[in-house]
Amino acid sequence: MTVWPEERAQTIDSFNTVDMTINVGPQHPATHGVFRMVLTVDGEVVVDCEPYIGYLHRGLEKLTENHDYRQSMGWWDRTDYLAGMCCEGAYCMAVEKLAGLEVPERAEYIRVMMMELSRINSHFMFLGAFGADVGSFGTSFVYAWRERERIYDFFEEVSGDRMFPTYFRPGGLQADLPENYESRVRWLLGSIRQGIEDLDGLLTGNEIFVERCRGLAPMTTERAINLGITGPILRATGLPWDLRKAQPYSVYDRMKFEIPVGEQGDIFDRYFVRLSEMYQSTKIIEQCLDQMPKGLVLNPDLPKTLRIDNAECYIRTEGTKGEYGVYAMARGGVKPYRMKLRSPSFCNLSALREMVVGSYVADAIIILGSLDIVLGEVDK
Amino acid sequence: MTQPAAAPQYPGISALIHKHLSNVPFTATTTGTDADIHVAAEHLLALVEGMNQKPELAFDMLANVTGIDMGEDTLAVKYNLYSFTHNHRVQVTVTVAWADRVIPSLTGIYRAADWHEREAAEMVGVVFAGHPNPKNLLLDEDLRIHPLLKSHPLQTVEILQGIEEGVPGFKF
Amino acid sequence: MGLFLFSDPLFGVWNWVDAIIRIVIVVLVMTLVVMYLTYGERKLVARFQQRLGPTKTGPAGLLQAFADTVKLAAKEDIRPTNADRWVFEFAPYLTFIPVLMVLISLPFARDWGVRDLSLGLFYVFAILGLNIVGMLMAGLGSGNKYALLGGVRAAAQMISYEIPLVLSLLSVAMIAGTLNLNGIAAIQSFTPEEGQFAPFIFLQPLAFLIFFTAMLSELHRAPFDIPVAESEIVGGYFVEYSGMRWSMFQLTEYASMWAFSVFGSIVFFGGWAVPDTGSWVGPDWAWQLGITFVKSVAWIVAIMWVRTTVPRLRIDQLMSFCWKILLPMSIVQLLMNGFILIYDWPHILLTLTSGAGAAALVAIIITRAIRRPKNKLVGTYRQARAAAQ
Repeated sequence: MTVWPEERAQTIDSFNTVDMTINVGPQHPATHGVFRMVLTVDGEVVVDCEPYIGYLHRGLEKLTENHDYRQSMGWWDRTDYLAGMCCEGAYCMAVEKLAGLEVPERAEYIRVMMMELSRINSHFMFLGAFGADVGSFGTSFVYAWRERERIYDFFEEVSGDRMFPTYFRPGGLQADLPENYESRVRWLLGSIRQGIEDLDGLLTGNEIFVERCRGLAPMTTERAINLGITGPILRATGLPWDLRKAQPYSVYDRMKFEIPVGEQGDIFDRYFVRLSEMYQSTKIIEQCLDQMPKGLVLNPDLPKTLRIDNAECYIRTEGTKGEYGVYAMARGGVKPYRMKLRSPSFCNLSALREMVVGSYVADAIIILGSLDIVLGEVDK
Repeated sequence: MTQPAAAPQYPGISALIHKHLSNVPFTATTTGTDADIHVAAEHLLALVEGMNQKPELAFDMLANVTGIDMGEDTLAVKYNLYSFTHNHRVQVTVTVAWADRVIPSLTGIYRAADWHEREAAEMVGVVFAGHPNPKNLLLDEDLRIHPLLKSHPLQTVEILQGIEEGVPGFKF
Repeated sequence: MGLFLFSDPLFGVWNWVDAIIRIVIVVLVMTLVVMYLTYGERKLVARFQQRLGPTKTGPAGLLQAFADTVKLAAKEDIRPTNADRWVFEFAPYLTFIPVLMVLISLPFARDWGVRDLSLGLFYVFAILGLNIVGMLMAGLGSGNKYALLGGVRAAAQMISYEIPLVLSLLSVAMIAGTLNLNGIAAIQSFTPEEGQFAPFIFLQPLAFLIFFTAMLSELHRAPFDIPVAESEIVGGYFVEYSGMRWSMFQLTEYASMWAFSVFGSIVFFGGWAVPDTGSWVGPDWAWQLGITFVKSVAWIVAIMWVRTTVPRLRIDQLMSFCWKILLPMSIVQLLMNGFILIYDWPHILLTLTSGAGAAALVAIIITRAIRRPKNKLVGTYRQARAAAQ
């Protein structure tokens, strides 16, 4: 049978392909927790992506509304469980703002130091897990884990717990640092820098890593802002915006550090911004150690039970993933009337569809990885 | 002789907003951290659009949306806006009665509003008119409960499937 | 060349009995090798990653492989309800049998293999191509979308990389003048006065690089582990398998890694023949077996080293690397070899041209990493389709 060109063209047109739906998650190595995204793929190209969250929803806000101000501490550091201290910091600042409590200066410095250690911890987790997402068979993971263990050891020494320290209190801290903390932290900083260098050497110069990450899912600043993206992903687009500098809280205004930015907001820039941020965090910790004043770590005027009359505030802190905001409202009594968590992962994740559609399945995985989501924070 | 009504006070950034958007009626108070603009639901879109568009205001980021059950069958929705250009921030409050709890959606102005509004909708039951994808976000898809209403019990074994829509909380 | 042919049965029995005995020996050795390859990989990768690896089972964890085997054998063999029964159940065997058949033709020492085939090289890559069938069957028959993606990726990748693999081997075979593996090994041990016959890695570095790359791809090892990518498609085509059938896939993976290592060391490093063990103390065959062993272990260590160091490529990058870089370079090398051999130019030219090619290949990889793309790379296909409609 002779196939004429017209008929041939028709045959090709009528050869319809059907898009396939792949369910990624809720349990999948790339979702970093219990997150589900339904990918509609045309061969290897993602046509549509529908994220489903809420598998880890624990009713954080409802619980907080129904408990005493100090009882709620425990589940606020289970939001961003990779950097529990940052969450505690934001929560305590919200309660202090509502109650008008003063925090002793030493406590502020210790808080900043611990928050920065948490940030390093979280970024190490990102680097390790992102390397594994890109496919480096866990080497980056183990490199990152080595330093994380050391940081966790220090947390345990300070507060008695590793991941969920519950170390901060409204009005100060649970306890002062141990005697030898300065030498411990300085040793830790050296080790952290070594770890950063190791990961830098493993990933940054790697041809395949660069090839995979460069130019993938670029993001303009305007787009990112409109999508509500904050944190390292926003900085990767080239905007040097960091709440620690833009609207300083605690004692960040006394710290000298730089804000690393990227150029085009692609995956590589996001990775590199996080990597550079860790260096800056070590600088901040060093300044904390140098400037650390002596004194109390808990406000002596703290009442036994906090009772707060009508008050309202919205606290914004630079969490590890972006703007970690706490909206708090008190209307008398020993419990907050409403506490709302504005979690950075939640807002960053809502932009997932924007970035994923049009990429390959393999890229969808590393785009998700580059968002650095923590499901405890997304699902509250 | 009746006292003339005191001129409304516009603390902080709200004075600037009033200056540039004098056609939108609103009142303003302060919270612990921000100026708080109280606006009626029908004026919300005009206000926020103006705040977004006017170069002197340039509120280009919607940071947070909070739905609150204020008791006495009223709901409040708080929007926290931020301007990267001018590094200023403001809070916008919309209070609605439970009976007509419809608030225009801001998704047309801020893409970030999408998930925030879905969360507020499922948590306290606000209806965002014009939302492109009004599904449950954190809760199960077919759940029609609003857990953050004060009438919703905290500690009860919940059999959650098939609860009627439109009930503030529900009776056990 | 009677020296290199396996004309005499080893045990002085009938030919077919001899063949069976040899196959049994090879299979037993292979099983042991595979078990200790898994152990070795775990230990070695652990050291690369600053861990310890298995330590508890036996001295230094040496019995871990046996424990794993027992565990796998005792596990339930699960078949998903929507799997295609026969396709699903036969796929592991179809992936394993080609690898076993490859082992038949490999000379582990002089005059010692199962059979010495005069077209050994040709036989090896003919048989290895059959591997795809089993993987595709596993992918299609599992009734799982991840498995389907993995199977399709495996097929696409293996078919593509077979071409540079074969061409790089052909350029070696041109110089050797034979397709007999025993002969290829033997020819590398000749050290005439001109010094022209050295191990083929010196004569053909580009062919070696291409072979190594394509081999990693055929073996689904990093950075080409796209069909079995754990973080993307959770294991790929064997995601639905368990127990013995799953361990068949593992057996295939490690057995083919071993087979490729021995094969590669024969073709490029001279196998048992380099260095010449004729004048050494002790039995000749023992030295030769030892040399083969050491060389193949070096290959395996290299494979694992690569695995722990580099991330994974994307499927389109993999394909373009194969079709746009490896394939043209191997063809050019083939042409150059042809000219040099036909006009009888000095053999040092082989080294020079191929070395230049190898340098170019490395340079290409590095420049591709350094350059920063102007526009978005992904999604072009979809955009083009949307524009066309």
